[in-house]
Amino acid sequence: MQASRKNIKPLPYILILPTAAFVALFTAWPVLLSIYQSFFRQRMNIAKFREPVFIGWGNYVDLFTDPYFIEVIKNTLTYILGTVPISIILGFLFALLVNRKVRGIGFFRLAFFHPMVLPMVSAATIWLFMFTPDYGLFNAALRFLGYSGPENWTGNPSLAILSVVIVAVWKNSGYYMVFYLAGLQNLPNDVYEAAALDGANGWQTLWRITFPLLRRTTLFITIVAFIDSFRTVDHIFVLTSGGPSRSSTVLLFELWLERFEYQDIGASAAITVIFVIVLLAFTVTNFITSDRREA
Amino acid sequence: MKKKMLYKIFAVVLVLGLLLGACAPAPAEEPAQEEAAPVEEQAPAEEAAPAEEEEEEAVMEPVTFQVFYPVAVDAPIAAILNGYIEDFQAEYPHITVEPVFSGGYGDVQTAIQTTIDGGGEPPALGVMLATALYDLINADYIAPLDGYIAAMDGGDAYEADFLPAFLANSYYDDQLWSIPFQRSAVVMYYNADMFADAGLEPPTSWQSWAEAAQALTVQDGDTTNYGLHFSSDWPYWLFQPLAIGAGKNILEDDCTVVFDDPAVIEAVQFYIDLSEVYGAMPAGVQASWPTDPPDLASGATAMITHSSGSLAGLIAQADFELGVMPYPGKEEGTYASVPGGGNFYIMKGAAQEKQDAAWKFVEFISRPEYVADYSINTGYIANRASAYDTEAMLTYVAEVPQALATRDALQYAGAELAVQNLGQVRGIFHDYIQRAINGEMSAADAMAAAQVEAADALADFCP
Repeated sequence: MQASRKNIKPLPYILILPTAAFVALFTAWPVLLSIYQSFFRQRMNIAKFREPVFIGWGNYVDLFTDPYFIEVIKNTLTYILGTVPISIILGFLFALLVNRKVRGIGFFRLAFFHPMVLPMVSAATIWLFMFTPDYGLFNAALRFLGYSGPENWTGNPSLAILSVVIVAVWKNSGYYMVFYLAGLQNLPNDVYEAAALDGANGWQTLWRITFPLLRRTTLFITIVAFIDSFRTVDHIFVLTSGGPSRSSTVLLFELWLERFEYQDIGASAAITVIFVIVLLAFTVTNFITSDRREA
Repeated sequence: MKKKMLYKIFAVVLVLGLLLGACAPAPAEEPAQEEAAPVEEQAPAEEAAPAEEEEEEAVMEPVTFQVFYPVAVDAPIAAILNGYIEDFQAEYPHITVEPVFSGGYGDVQTAIQTTIDGGGEPPALGVMLATALYDLINADYIAPLDGYIAAMDGGDAYEADFLPAFLANSYYDDQLWSIPFQRSAVVMYYNADMFADAGLEPPTSWQSWAEAAQALTVQDGDTTNYGLHFSSDWPYWLFQPLAIGAGKNILEDDCTVVFDDPAVIEAVQFYIDLSEVYGAMPAGVQASWPTDPPDLASGATAMITHSSGSLAGLIAQADFELGVMPYPGKEEGTYASVPGGGNFYIMKGAAQEKQDAAWKFVEFISRPEYVADYSINTGYIANRASAYDTEAMLTYVAEVPQALATRDALQYAGAELAVQNLGQVRGIFHDYIQRAINGEMSAADAMAAAQVEAADALADFCP
């Protein structure tokens, strides 16, 4: 018993105290509060609903029976399927391209990475001008490459979600490139020498050696990309305002609408809870399956 | 052992320092409140002193308040406001005003809401949309201003001096809740030189408007320079004068909207026809609010619909004669417009002395010379009749007659969309009118569906 008492050192706990305090105050507490508020009806812009009234699962039932909310879920899925795989693949490609000791390679690494440094709202404003039909740079470039389809990226209901996907992919690919680059540069050379001796060509080296060795990096990037695709909606405010006809409204944007436009505290708390559950489920699943693979 | 001890002490100090640093109070609030407290305690003890002395004692308490304001148009608002604040602080040295630029109108409202709902003290003054009135009253955020008007010299004359089209948005339940600040109207800007070159007169009806736009649509290589750009990604404001011009505004009062009125549907159809029938406008929803003024200035289009607040920016950029007019109405010789813009609101949750100081600032900044100055430098419409008699304004309109044109558009104005549950009702309207514009639904079907949903959204709010 004396031995175990001696082994509990207070220092580590003191050192993580600030972080633990912040997490408790700014993450755990708001989540608990949101779970609590989601069981009440409370709207701030109408006097009779200003005080919360208990309605049990009412908010969740209202959400899932609302065709608009189902549409929002569909838009969110489209958005995730658009941004996550494409930006990861592009990040990997960029990393392969810039992973060489050529003079001036630093310029290209900077070129690929710089979108990450720009504030999203400023970047989205510039993209708004680039998406302008007819003379916007984006459309001019597409026409040069032979495109002759619709050009109203932010006003066409079928294209609006694509426009926000494009901006998100542009912004994030450079970020994932950096992780892959670090991973690539830490790969052991002897494996490649062995592969060359065995007569492997470039394609085989890539898919049978490089990519599997980067599995951990890919796992990490997938989690980051997935979470980020839920979190970042600033460009939607600038580009499409969730429209036209709500075709680019994703979950977080809907959450903002419910809370700040419709002043519906109960509904926005319910959406927050859905958010937390989805992201938690994804993260936990990822960790469990990756642990299994390690074993 | 000593080294370990030192290491532990250092770690603890570091941690405590981080915690303290993170919990530092907001700079302005604490000092102002601490200073106010001791002075307040002295004042009651001097009640026997003559009234004037007492007033001076009370007036000299230093007070700092914040004003949250947006920038919504192409003008150097921040610099102008800072200039006015300096003048104000020179005249009232004990009051400090902290302007906080907060984004667009929506962002200002969001910032204030989050502060109040989080239990903090809101800024004493905010500039928010005139139409946000019902939401703000229902949420109990704002203080009525009748008391201040009654207490000021010539309060009635002051109130009567504001242009009625603007002050109308400030009343509810027989009380006055806001003071107009940066108010605007929807207007149509046009390139008078292009019109003259094509031998066209400014339009006076929907027919002549559509035909002029069609005539001024030219092919430039593989791009089309349309005769008219008409932004529709936040459609209700620019659309309302079309409905008014067709004979029926989209709302009747704070609890009644009439989206499915035949005149409104006709207006939607006219918008669609401008591109489908006349080929004078890009098809579909146009997300072009920020690009329209540069397009007009550069000659890429002949007419745009925009806020009067963009006037100053356009005059600076245009190297042609700029025409300004309200929308033509459907019938020959009729016109239409709609007011817009932001008002000053005083937040109930701020300390009383801050609210009072904020009122002093509102009073100051709504003096005719400042109203005229703001209008001249931004293009917002001067919201008081007496501002048009000031020397600065008389000189300005002699040089820039378009400034009077924006004010004159107001005589054709209907009420701006301001209803209960505004966010939701407006969202419904936007959703359906955009479906109609993009051809997903017919105008009649879209507006009928919008009316059903909007009435449903208003049900809880209205008796």
